[in-house]
Amino acid sequence: MSKSRVLAMGLGATLALGAVAFPVAAQTEIMKIGYISPEAATDYGWNQQGLIGAQAAAASIGAELIQADNSGYGDPGPVLGQLKDDGAQLIIAQASGYTTVAAQFAKDSGIPVIVFDQPEMTAADLVADVATNSQQGGYLAGVLAAHASKTGVLGIVISADDTNWHKQAGGFVAGAKSVNPEIQILQAQVGPAGYGDAEGGKTTTETLIAGGADIVFGMGDGSSFGMLAAVENATPPAGADKVMFIDVIGDKTPIDAKDVLLSSVLWDFTGTYTQAVADIAAGTFGDAGYTLDAANGGISLLRTDNASDEAWAAVDAAAAGIADGSIEVPLTATQADVDALIAQ
Amino acid sequence: MVDLLSPTFLTAVLAAGIVAGIPLLFASLGETLAEQAGVLNVGLEGMMISGAFVAFVTALAVGDYWIGLLAGGIAGAVVSLVMVVFCIRLGLDQIVVGIALVLTAEGATSVLHDIWYSRSYPRLPNVEPFRIPLLSEIPVLGGSLFSQPLVVYVALAGVAFAAWAIRRTRWGLELRAAGERPDSLDAAGVSVVRTRTVAELMCGFLAGVGGGYLALVGAGTFVPFVTHGAGFIAIVIAMLARGRPWWCVLGGLLFGISLSITTALQVAGIAIPVDFVEMLPFISVLVVLVLFVRESRLPSALGLPYLRGSR
Repeated sequence: MSKSRVLAMGLGATLALGAVAFPVAAQTEIMKIGYISPEAATDYGWNQQGLIGAQAAAASIGAELIQADNSGYGDPGPVLGQLKDDGAQLIIAQASGYTTVAAQFAKDSGIPVIVFDQPEMTAADLVADVATNSQQGGYLAGVLAAHASKTGVLGIVISADDTNWHKQAGGFVAGAKSVNPEIQILQAQVGPAGYGDAEGGKTTTETLIAGGADIVFGMGDGSSFGMLAAVENATPPAGADKVMFIDVIGDKTPIDAKDVLLSSVLWDFTGTYTQAVADIAAGTFGDAGYTLDAANGGISLLRTDNASDEAWAAVDAAAAGIADGSIEVPLTATQADVDALIAQ
Repeated sequence: MVDLLSPTFLTAVLAAGIVAGIPLLFASLGETLAEQAGVLNVGLEGMMISGAFVAFVTALAVGDYWIGLLAGGIAGAVVSLVMVVFCIRLGLDQIVVGIALVLTAEGATSVLHDIWYSRSYPRLPNVEPFRIPLLSEIPVLGGSLFSQPLVVYVALAGVAFAAWAIRRTRWGLELRAAGERPDSLDAAGVSVVRTRTVAELMCGFLAGVGGGYLALVGAGTFVPFVTHGAGFIAIVIAMLARGRPWWCVLGGLLFGISLSITTALQVAGIAIPVDFVEMLPFISVLVVLVLFVRESRLPSALGLPYLRGSR
């Protein structure tokens, strides 16, 4: 037996023994986390909430966060590669449109990624999917709106044909009808993909208000600023003294100069991302996906002073019902599902 | 389900249609002038979004929407200088330069918005309408057609003037000659480059005003990519209108009102698939303009650079 073969065998045996004796030591300690999102993380919405969650996760382990927000809706591949070059050991790909490319990137590079809305992409040690039970937040918003409305007419505006918008809209309808089965609900979609269509958001919202809606539940990214402008400048419909707005994902209170924000369905990614970091350390990342829901605090309703104590008590009761399973919120993934729920 | 025929609702639907149609009217009128002179202005979207941003910044700073619109128009004209220099003066490809202009303008306004407004997202108050005496008292029509911001009526007067000028003045003749037979215009001693330059600057100004109207009146705010393809729709309207300014009015308002009707149909809960409803504006404009403007045609030298002595 040659000398080199003996050395190689000795080295192999040592490595094998080490792997058996110290399995946890094989896990990587996360020193850098990468965050990529399509728009600027100052949108009081999806991109900002994701960043807040990523910052919290990084802080929980003393890691550095590499921020690549405003990366656009196109191919995230080059930015993912840059994050890898910068030393990211976990990447949060904060857009459902990134999922396919990001999952492939994880397989090619070995760097774990967090993706959205495609549970089938989940893969041990590499890919973990995040889903939302956002319909639960929509339900709570519906309960609040039904209590706060003076006209008995509620409006739903969505900027696009988006599953998450439909889920929240369906939850909103169910919540409102649980308070008042006769309540009237008007809804309209700005466009097939009108996320940034502020003009469409404004004119669509104005039309709903003209139809009598005094509470508008708006879902729209950039389009939501047009919705907010419409509510701020609205002439209240007969029977109401003010039109109020319920937003989604983020908290627009800092820019609510005219105090028209009734609430917002908040999405908090902090718990999910912190758990993901812990799962990497434990070697269980990618064994299952994550879900944001009311029970784990991922979905909640922003509390403001613009609704009565009675309304908030009803919201709290509904939240408790969702948490203990006594209230089951319907899942409406399409516009047709929402239409059917309104027609019931 | 809402009562589709209630005066309040009908007024809102019609008013929303006009709000959506006016930016298209301005931009397609500008495109018409450029096309008549032989310039295919693919960069219209870039001029609109530049006008929207500058109009918003100015109106926010000075609190006057007229000054905002004027600033938006000037911004559009300044951006159109890119087309003037590269396409009209240097004879480069109008489509390539136009696309580059759109991408640059969208990127620049997005970055500037991020720097200045992405933490405050300021909104503007509604622009007070100008109520035409007596007519504004008519149910539904009064509150929509005859209670619009004054600039809407100025736009209609501008269309009338443009329609007259294109057909009845020497300037209009030179404009059309620059698009049909630039060599003949040149032989007659009139500068093709100057004629096209003036048309392009007017196009940029009108597109900028249209973008400004969209931001100040339509959206009440500015967000990145706020024009949302309006410039490209305006190009389609202008190409289908084929040099007739009043058809730009029809195309713009038809598109806007169709857009508004799609919202009304959804609000009324009428059981038509949303995807189909949202095709309505595009289908209606195409059908009407294709049916009624078939006999006219686009200028022969449209999109072709004019370089004296070249063939």
